[in-house]
Amino acid sequence: MRKCIVATVVICLLFPTFVLAGAVNAQEQRITLSLATEPPSLDTALATDQISSFLLAHLMEGLVQYGPAGELVPAMAERWEVREGGATFWLRKNAVWSDGKPVTAEHFVYAWRRALDPATASQYAFILFPIKNAEAVNRGELPVEKLGVEALGNYRLEVRFDKPCPYFAKLTAFMTFFPARQDVVERWGRAHAADADKMIFNGPFILTRWIHGARLTLTRNPRYWNADAIRLQEIDLPYITTDPGTHYNLYKDNRIALAPLDASTLSDALSKGYETHLFDFGTLYFLEMNFREDRPTRNLALRKAIQSVLNPSLLVYKVLGLPGVKPAYSLFPSSMRAGEGVVFSEHYPPPVVNYDIAQAQRYLAQAKRELGDIPPLTLLVGDSPRAVNEAEFYQYVLKQSLGLETRLDQQTFKQRISKMRRGEFDIAAAGWGPDFDDPITFGDLFASWNENNRGRFADDDYDAAVRQAQRSLDPAVRLKAFDRMQQIISEQVVIIPTYENVGLYVQHPQLMGVRRSIFGGDPNYRYAWVKP
Amino acid sequence: MAYLPADFDRLPPQAPEAAETLAPSPPLWQLLLQDMRACLAAGVVLLVLVMAFIGPWLWPQDPATQWLSQVSSGPSAARRVDVVSDEFWHGPRQNVSALTALQATTTQVKLAWPDRADAMSYRVYRNAGGVGLGMPLIETVKTHYADRLQLSEQRYRYSVVAVRADGSTSDPEWIEVKPELTLGTFEAQLLGLDVMDGKVSLPSHPLGTDALGRDMLSRILHGAQTSMLVGLSAPLLFITLGAFYGALAGLLGGWVDNVLMRIADFVVALPFLLFMILFRVALGIESGESGLFPMVMAMVLLSWPSAARLVRGQVLQLRESAFVMSARLAGAGNFYLIRRHLLPNVLPLLLVSLSFAIPQAIFTEALLSFIGMGVVPPTPSWGTLCNEGIRSMLTHPHELIIPALAISITVLSFNVLGDALRDAMDVKVRRSLR
Repeated sequence: MRKCIVATVVICLLFPTFVLAGAVNAQEQRITLSLATEPPSLDTALATDQISSFLLAHLMEGLVQYGPAGELVPAMAERWEVREGGATFWLRKNAVWSDGKPVTAEHFVYAWRRALDPATASQYAFILFPIKNAEAVNRGELPVEKLGVEALGNYRLEVRFDKPCPYFAKLTAFMTFFPARQDVVERWGRAHAADADKMIFNGPFILTRWIHGARLTLTRNPRYWNADAIRLQEIDLPYITTDPGTHYNLYKDNRIALAPLDASTLSDALSKGYETHLFDFGTLYFLEMNFREDRPTRNLALRKAIQSVLNPSLLVYKVLGLPGVKPAYSLFPSSMRAGEGVVFSEHYPPPVVNYDIAQAQRYLAQAKRELGDIPPLTLLVGDSPRAVNEAEFYQYVLKQSLGLETRLDQQTFKQRISKMRRGEFDIAAAGWGPDFDDPITFGDLFASWNENNRGRFADDDYDAAVRQAQRSLDPAVRLKAFDRMQQIISEQVVIIPTYENVGLYVQHPQLMGVRRSIFGGDPNYRYAWVKP
Repeated sequence: MAYLPADFDRLPPQAPEAAETLAPSPPLWQLLLQDMRACLAAGVVLLVLVMAFIGPWLWPQDPATQWLSQVSSGPSAARRVDVVSDEFWHGPRQNVSALTALQATTTQVKLAWPDRADAMSYRVYRNAGGVGLGMPLIETVKTHYADRLQLSEQRYRYSVVAVRADGSTSDPEWIEVKPELTLGTFEAQLLGLDVMDGKVSLPSHPLGTDALGRDMLSRILHGAQTSMLVGLSAPLLFITLGAFYGALAGLLGGWVDNVLMRIADFVVALPFLLFMILFRVALGIESGESGLFPMVMAMVLLSWPSAARLVRGQVLQLRESAFVMSARLAGAGNFYLIRRHLLPNVLPLLLVSLSFAIPQAIFTEALLSFIGMGVVPPTPSWGTLCNEGIRSMLTHPHELIIPALAISITVLSFNVLGDALRDAMDVKVRRSLR
């Protein structure tokens, strides 16, 4: 009997190591990773979240993609040309789908029409709006055939614009622009891309296993046009959990090759001597002011007073305390590029705000003359520990320096977004990540027509600058327009930028060549390999 | 049988046992005083009450003030520190020959190092007592860096690694630095401190500070106030309510008793949390406003039945007891009966249930504040302190342990006191029945 128990215990101890391989395997060139959640859909027209973006970046390929330094490199398109009125893409002839059929221009036309078709109800349809007639098609006012995109033969794609769109090539690296096969989509209908065998791939990997809620496996695609450059044979994703602590523990147990860190796991990773890495997400966090009629924050002097006391460097260095997080002073993150190799903040540094309590009190006195007594301000914030700490810091600073009372309205992400949309806040803590590599992805956020302009800021000068940046092909004019935007944002205190977030992570020392990129799916294991 | 005259003599004085049974049982407090643990528990309870109500006056630090240069620090004494500029540093005036710390304060540690011909960029790491290079701070093309990241007065080892064009890295060059505690100019201005000779005074923090640099002692004392306010007011209210309700049912009896007790049964079945949330909604309390009132309201309106049952049972029993009957026969009125016989016999019972209800209420308040239904920031309560402590549990356990201990000790003392009271009651009851 005792032997039996001992045997069971031994088997229990050994069993996991037999079934679950280690984090990396150099001989077979396979790696094991984890996911935060299961992808809701791998349909390129419907996918919106980061997990889908990460998976699709390995399974599919668009016209262009981002290279190691963030530059555009050829993918399905060998070369391209963006003009004032449109763009042309010349497709490579050696690209095939995972079933061997060639990838043709018609597949892009079909995919883009499908994403804009109101029946598809794609949430990312707006990203296709630079294409001629796209908005009208999406509203159902024009048939999809009227969309300004056309296949000239099998390997040439012609796009016409409504108005000039200098950054269009960058957009096509985004997942909504990936090609689709009409025969596959129509064969599966609603079930398309809901299982591994109900979709088709043109990227470096194919999805060979998708056990819902439990496991996904990506295997190298031998038919990929650039298959020789792909060294990993398999990416296994057998762990799906939202808890950041679990990912870290899996990494510690040598089960996964890469794990994100947060404030609490960081200190453990440091004490264990793991090498930790930083990755700049290019995400901006800020406090958004409400400009609606009945809100005290409509008053400029009050906003100025608040701006003069909320010193981002105090927040970042004393309260947040995470390495790599940078205090933000502009609408555009410091690493944002406006064209090849042009870092915007190096040409137009952020506007200078004078953090001075005496001056803030003068602004406040003026606000009180204009408004009378100022009621407690509602500060809408998230419910994560970090968000709450941040909020208590803002509350303290406003009370201590200006005597302003604030109410903290802590809400879950979904609730916070819906309250922001309804305008139920005075000041809201928000964040914004770029969709593509151009400052306009931040700039048009506060245009009076933008749905995501939650504070309802409306300013003719600002709108004019946004239009100019959207239409002009001249980089110098665009840079000036962006500078105008960041100046107005600061002068009018539309938002108070607080910090630029970074990701901290640990990575297996044998795993090489992983690319972290803000755009086009992150992290990117296309060119990764396992060092023996 | 004939009686002798001697048979009619007085008996000699005797029967001490009989005398003892007739003697009144000693008062409750005397029985309590004989019990060591009861004395101890009562002492702690008294201390907590005193600290809750005069503590904030004895230790007049504001529990909301954030000493941001001393976040999550251990116990510290009052001291004078320098105020230094917190402006952005643009690098050293002249080049350095080796990795140097040009300023080492908790506001900024200014590092500069010589340029290397083969370096594309430099990575700066900071190690605070672990193994390896430590925390990556920045990758920069410049040859200087000002570290400002949550610096405290401890030894740091900074390492600078050069990254070459092919991605390989050089051996680290390192330096050890122990920054001196200082305040940045903006922070000193924000705190409203008087700067004299470039120095300001910082107060002491006997229990250290929390993750936002707030004084733990002051937060515990103010938190005690919230906890005691709820912990005392709610039980007092619902036990009084329950006692009157139960006494009414017990005294009137019959169908009235039946109806009243069925109502009590109904109230017992109502879920507390749900009703508290309903009251919040009904009172129009939004997220960000204090939820203490609906919490006390829900406790009072839903917790009285247990006290009511207890009192009703006791009253029913007393009503049928011989001494009440004889008092009635002797012509005692209802009011006299309540005052002379019912109240004194019910009161100790209420005292016991009160001493058990208080810790429960303290616990409920802590729990609800913990999940964000109670007080709102920056008002501290023991529950919110625990919630805040959990965020930094792994790195700074004292922020969780101190409020958790405060809750545990207080609740334990009240419970021990309640136990002792009940035991003393038992002795008293046993003796009076003998």
